[in-house]
Amino acid sequence: MPDDKTPNLLDFIVDRTHAGIFVVDRDMQVVLWNQFMEMHSGRKAEELLGKNLFDEFPELPRKWLTRKVKNVFILKNFSFTSWEQRPYLFRFPHNRPVTGGVDCMRQDCTLMPVKNTAGEVEYVCFTLFDVTDTSIYQQQLQALTRELREVSNRDGLTRLYNRRYIEETLCREFKRARRHAQPLTVVLSDIDHFKQVNDFHGHLAGDEVLRVVSHRLLDSLRDTDILGRYGGEEFLIVLPNTGIEGGKVLGERLRQAIESEPVNIDDTRLEVHISLGITELREDSFDYEQLIGEADQALYRAKEAGRNRAMVYAPSAPQRLTEP
Amino acid sequence: MNIEPYTEDQTDALQEVANIAMGQAGDSLARILDNFVTLSVPRIRQIAAQELVDTVIAMVGDEDEVSAVRQAFYNSLRGEAIVIFTQSGADELAELLGYDCELDDNIEQELLLEIGNLLVGAILNGISETLGTELGFSAPSLMAEHSPLRQVLTANRLSWQHALLLEVNFSVERHRFKSHLLMFMTGETIETLRDILDDFMDEF
Repeated sequence: MPDDKTPNLLDFIVDRTHAGIFVVDRDMQVVLWNQFMEMHSGRKAEELLGKNLFDEFPELPRKWLTRKVKNVFILKNFSFTSWEQRPYLFRFPHNRPVTGGVDCMRQDCTLMPVKNTAGEVEYVCFTLFDVTDTSIYQQQLQALTRELREVSNRDGLTRLYNRRYIEETLCREFKRARRHAQPLTVVLSDIDHFKQVNDFHGHLAGDEVLRVVSHRLLDSLRDTDILGRYGGEEFLIVLPNTGIEGGKVLGERLRQAIESEPVNIDDTRLEVHISLGITELREDSFDYEQLIGEADQALYRAKEAGRNRAMVYAPSAPQRLTEP
Repeated sequence: MNIEPYTEDQTDALQEVANIAMGQAGDSLARILDNFVTLSVPRIRQIAAQELVDTVIAMVGDEDEVSAVRQAFYNSLRGEAIVIFTQSGADELAELLGYDCELDDNIEQELLLEIGNLLVGAILNGISETLGTELGFSAPSLMAEHSPLRQVLTANRLSWQHALLLEVNFSVERHRFKSHLLMFMTGETIETLRDILDDFMDEF
């Protein structure tokens, strides 16, 4: 049982526990400030009791926090903040060596209504948890997951998106463009006479041509455009928020990017060209596969017309009857 | 565990409790959001695990894009509440909650969690207070963002056979915002609640 020498157990624990505990009243005046808060803020309880929290810590997000505390008074219910959405409430230094990316303590907070015997809320008690370690592990895990996802979505040779992923992307963009009534253009392109590059110069040369072409295409596209390797020497390009006119301009830019400069393989300068087929989303477009089919038809016409050019899909033009 | 369905009296009592709770919750929420709010008459169902998806889809709609927040409650009653947002312009939520900063992904998530917590708190406290009992709450967490409702419901491994489901939908005057709160209680809690309802009825 407590006596003169033994401290009150609850008081002791609240003061010394391994979490920040502080209490404010309706006017945001500090009513309790435990040791954890003292040690990490560098401010003693005796300086802070009776003072307004925002006057003493002007860097706190005043409007948001006032509202959040007010809601606890009204609703008489717990409230929470999480480091994942709001990294911290107070900018405290953290106590572990930095492995990267964490400049200060990450915190989870709980706001608790403190009711009197009449059931009215008199104070709000904050409990502040140091979750820096958890946040670092979480971020490492997320970085690894991102890397893994990238690897599974990318083609090994060209580093472009692979066929599966570019098709998924087109499917998504198709739905989005439909939902928001926005334009969408699709381009299918392939390298002219690519088989001959492999046959005359070898597969290593062919690989290099693929890499260089991929790189130049990527360079010529806008940030919002998405490029993928669709087949052996075929590329699928998704142009969100772009209509057929924009598609034609981009198609020509891509064609020139490849034609303007030969590809250097050892001592050989290889002339490389691409053909392109372009189509846009229309009201009567059924699904994304139809768009790929149309771009393919247009690509075929570009080949027939002599290669090294872009053609736009025309429903009335003679269509290819069999798959290549 | 085999759950006896509630008697008609118990079901009526539960509906009564829920209706009273919504009135209280509506008042608190209106004060917080500074706008007139509408809480629907709660729908209460006892369902088997395999009926979950169809029951919820029938109540909420087969939505393509929902965001969802979950929060556990405990003490006399244990279970989970899920708040499903079918239409929530983040900009509307921000305005409702008095955020005047730039909206980014983190702020949007925080808005969902905050509204979720407010709804769960208001509604579940309404219920527990009417029943004369007290509940504790865990921190809310994000369950899904812009996912099909069907996927959100089936993604979770359900370890229960039967559940008591209470559904309420919530909207705010002059705002597009719409959400549904689903309160799930299973097994023992259904029994505990039965006893609490019997006590509740005895008082009247």
